[in-house]
Amino acid sequence: MQIFPCPFCGPRDEREFHFAGELGKTRPDTRDGVSDADWARYLHEQRNEKGHVREVWMHMPCSELFVLERDSVSMAVIGSSPLRGAAE
Amino acid sequence: MRDDSGKWDRLPAVDAVIDAPGVVIRRVALVRQVLISGPDVLTQIDGPVVEWPGVVEAESYALSLRRDRVLWVNGPEMAEGWDAARNWAVSDVSDGYEVVEIAGAGALALLCRGAEVSLDQPSRSVARLLFGFGAFLYRAGNVQTYRAHVGRAQAGAFWTALEVHLRVSGDV
Amino acid sequence: MSAHRVAGRGRIDADAPLNFSFDGRAFQGRRGDTIASALLANGVRVMGRSFKYHRPRGPWGAWVDDPNAIMNVALNGVELPNCPATTTYLEEGMAARSVNAFPSARFDLKGGLDLFHRWLGAGFYYKTFMWPDWHLFEPMIRRMAGLGAVSDAVLEGYVADQLHDRCEVLVVGGGAAGLVAARSAAEAGQDVCLVEDHAECGGGVWQRAEIEGTAPADWVAAQVAAIVAAGGRVLTRATAFGVFDHRMVGIVENRAFGQAPRLRRMRAGRIVLASGALDRPVTFANNDRPGVMSVDGAGEMLARYGVLVGRRIAVVANNSAARAVLPALVQAGAEVVEVDPAAGPIRVLGAKRIRGLDQGGRRVEADTVLASGGLTPLVHLWRHAGGKLDWCDARQAFIPGRAPEGMVAVGAAAGAFDLESALEEARGVARGGAVEASVSHYHLTPLWPAPGAKGRQWIDFQHDVTLKDVELAARENYVSVEHLKRYTTLGMASDQGKTANMAGLAAMAAIQGRPIPEVGTTTFRPPFVPIPIETYHGAHRGQLWHPLKRLALEEAHRAAGAALGEYGGWLRPGWYGQGDVAQIIAEEVRMARGTAGIFDASPLGKIEVMGPDAEAFVDFVYYNTIRTLKPGHIRYGFLLSEGGAVMDDGVIARVDQDRFVISCSSSHVDGVRTHLEAWRQDGNDPDRIFIHDTTQHWATVTMTGPKAREIVGALGLEVDLSAEAFPHMRLREVVWQGGPLRIARVSFTGDVSFELSIRASRAEELWQALIAAGAPLGAGPLGLEALSIMRAEKGYLIIGKDTDGETMPHDLGFGIPRQKKTVAFIGDRSLHNAKANSTARKQLVGLRVAEGAVMLPTGAHVVEAGTQRSLGYVTSSYDSPTLDRPIALALIEDGVAQMGREVTIWHLGETRRATICGPCAFDPEGERLHA
Repeated sequence: MQIFPCPFCGPRDEREFHFAGELGKTRPDTRDGVSDADWARYLHEQRNEKGHVREVWMHMPCSELFVLERDSVSMAVIGSSPLRGAAE
Repeated sequence: MRDDSGKWDRLPAVDAVIDAPGVVIRRVALVRQVLISGPDVLTQIDGPVVEWPGVVEAESYALSLRRDRVLWVNGPEMAEGWDAARNWAVSDVSDGYEVVEIAGAGALALLCRGAEVSLDQPSRSVARLLFGFGAFLYRAGNVQTYRAHVGRAQAGAFWTALEVHLRVSGDV
Repeated sequence: MSAHRVAGRGRIDADAPLNFSFDGRAFQGRRGDTIASALLANGVRVMGRSFKYHRPRGPWGAWVDDPNAIMNVALNGVELPNCPATTTYLEEGMAARSVNAFPSARFDLKGGLDLFHRWLGAGFYYKTFMWPDWHLFEPMIRRMAGLGAVSDAVLEGYVADQLHDRCEVLVVGGGAAGLVAARSAAEAGQDVCLVEDHAECGGGVWQRAEIEGTAPADWVAAQVAAIVAAGGRVLTRATAFGVFDHRMVGIVENRAFGQAPRLRRMRAGRIVLASGALDRPVTFANNDRPGVMSVDGAGEMLARYGVLVGRRIAVVANNSAARAVLPALVQAGAEVVEVDPAAGPIRVLGAKRIRGLDQGGRRVEADTVLASGGLTPLVHLWRHAGGKLDWCDARQAFIPGRAPEGMVAVGAAAGAFDLESALEEARGVARGGAVEASVSHYHLTPLWPAPGAKGRQWIDFQHDVTLKDVELAARENYVSVEHLKRYTTLGMASDQGKTANMAGLAAMAAIQGRPIPEVGTTTFRPPFVPIPIETYHGAHRGQLWHPLKRLALEEAHRAAGAALGEYGGWLRPGWYGQGDVAQIIAEEVRMARGTAGIFDASPLGKIEVMGPDAEAFVDFVYYNTIRTLKPGHIRYGFLLSEGGAVMDDGVIARVDQDRFVISCSSSHVDGVRTHLEAWRQDGNDPDRIFIHDTTQHWATVTMTGPKAREIVGALGLEVDLSAEAFPHMRLREVVWQGGPLRIARVSFTGDVSFELSIRASRAEELWQALIAAGAPLGAGPLGLEALSIMRAEKGYLIIGKDTDGETMPHDLGFGIPRQKKTVAFIGDRSLHNAKANSTARKQLVGLRVAEGAVMLPTGAHVVEAGTQRSLGYVTSSYDSPTLDRPIALALIEDGVAQMGREVTIWHLGETRRATICGPCAFDPEGERLHA
């Protein structure tokens, strides 16, 4: 069982976390003529990297949405940071 | 379409007490629980802010839940809704959470059945998953007395979980 | 009798006799014995029959490495299958029974199967019974093979305790290296926990005459005392069975027989692996005979249990460690003859009783054969954690190589087979020092299976895999070790190949002429030892397995005779009263349509969205336009996924300018809250939007029906309830009995309804007041089943029942925001792609059957004439008590354009006809709603 560091709560058991997506998915401005291809890319394209990954997770007890950097092969956690401004 | 009434035990009475060697478990009736959210609520709130594994001594205190949220316990009555002056969102949830007190020398060992709870692992939030239920866990009054706030609809199951784990744990 | 007890030896209590039985015969052992050691002490060697050939088998090893002696054990009415006799400690009154043998291990009726071994090699069953169908033969074959039988009796109270724990240093193994490592770390001030699977620490130390100038018993006691004195913990009868992510170590603690084990999930800062090494078998003909044992096993039997395994012992060994064991056997009275395995092929003589062995025509008389093919470090946990293995030529073994983070191996597990250097190294490593290559006095002559050898040479004892099976696998090109394992089942028995895997892969290496490290090992997976499934199960059972959410009004419902059932994760009233359920439900519908019904809608979500950006936020998350909603007003709408599919429906009320309450459907509250939180923090300003889930603070009691207004009026509320003053889709907040009461005019029945929400602790008061006010008019409680029919009569949908993962709002008749809403909202772009614009979308419609026909089955398919292609399916179907005819809702391709068309319905081979109609079957003009 992995330990993930919530930027606010600190290290917690993986059962308290939900995966939210890969980092870097910016929602296209849908009022500005998004092509089918761009929209499909936003919806479906996953990098699915091996090794160092940057992902968005939610810590369910405190609902913090944050960036988790980890190694998808060794399961080592490299670090975490809030999705918004720097954590105190 | 099935009648499962008999499959589910009736809920434990509010005044139920589990008195086992080393652990006493009972319900705590609080005057008020209010959710307050706001960008600076952790520093603005006028009362002690409780984190893990601190021990709260006061009657009225704020549980630190998130970077921008507290549960104010036994505080004053407040107007609900958006408080534009303080940038606070306020909701009374006094009946939303039931509070269970787990006290005694064996309390921590029992809680360890339900999560990786450790006094050596501080946390800015008291919110965690405990026996599979969302809970706010902290210490109140003394170092061996733990309080858990659990969503009202799951409080009965949480109580049962404590009861069963206490029975199963045996001699630890 | 070849094996016997030697007075004064071992760690057993000679003065504590324990009575037990095996295959019905009575025996006596001693406290401290395992079942296997007690049987050996009584001269019993045949302890089981093999899995496939029903060959007689006795113990090979003295502990977890034994593949043979497996038993069903009963004590005090508790019977557990497949207990390893070598690791099950004896208790008074135990009744042990050999597995896979009838009537007993000594006289097994199926022993004759062994005669057919020539045809029963690897893959025999699959190849032979392929035609006409394997499944015809499988039950019979399963009965012939296998291990213990599971008792039918339910074990009351057999529940595993599971707990989380942590320590700075976890030492796995309480042998010499583990003890000194634990002591060193503890004395250096670290929080240490040592786990040892025997009842007593010491490991191989017991076989020695002395250690560091002290008697073993004194030395072991001193180490344990020092660890405890320094604040460390020592857990015995505890096995670290697996290392999981981030140094979570699974430890199973055996308690008294019949008591479920304890699972300790230990989070270790650092792991010191001191799990020791195993003696590996030598592959020669009939090496599986009872009485062929490992040299180390014989040493353990003598040192721990005072059992000398034979009187005249032939030893087939290739290494110095094995030779070091022999003097103790001689001293205990055995006659020992060493046989050089290099001098020619060896064959064991005798069957149930060994007569000796034959080497190239030379006969060696013996009642026991001890074998040792060299030591194999126990590296299972090392591999679980991702550590690498290096092949060591000098030791002819895989030893720990590159370490996983936070783990170090010491002692025999690290290949340090010499005690003195192992101790020095363990002390240093425990304090954080590096592992240094130790000088080793251990030496051996390589000795591996020889392909083409004569006779039946066992590789895997428990699964009956011989050298010939490995050769067959190689001929059929199952040469990868992973394929070899699955084709022959080598290493797949309950011992997980502790003795078999090395021999198997060495045999494959020899057959192919490749070096052993190139062939490699199979994957090591937890658990290291077989553990009861109960270990993982624990208290997650009964009402704690998926516990339902419970209503504040549950007692009131029970008192009213409610039949409670699960609805969307909550325990809710399905109907009230006993008798013909369909009749009761129909009566409830008629009551609610005729006068009024009272139902508990408490699980409906009450998620508050507040803050200066709340309006823009709800407008973004909703499909419908919400920014135009006025305070005190309510709107019905959908939440979509980014893919455009309908995720949830419900009403949203605007309490005031900066505060909304989302009433999502009962089973979706947690999901909707998370969905909103994610969008709040990603793409919006989280300092200007706050989301409070207040669902469980409130109880909601809904009054619905023509008399609803009159009954709610009886509460004496300070609010004008008239249709003009308080129309449909409005919210009012009032005070009732000194506390807040929220009233929402929304309807899930199509009749005038008032949703009254009050804080949960006061729900019962409100419920009783409404029941009392309603009773004189003939109104009463309404269950979820009746409600479900009433909403279907109106064509109101339930997300997930009347929609699927592809349903978009315009499939449900809500197409306007898709065309008109100008601001961005979740899922917007997906509503305009080719798929969303297709005319073949499944749309929600009603289905009507002919006069007098019975109702359609839910799930029945609407099929295309001729091709039988599914065009959609029935999502909801009921007998409507209001209309006195069946009604149904369905999702059908291009359904809306086909109103009035007759379609074919197919269900489980039966064909029906129905006509497509609008989804609303009752009061389509909505006159009752606004009455």
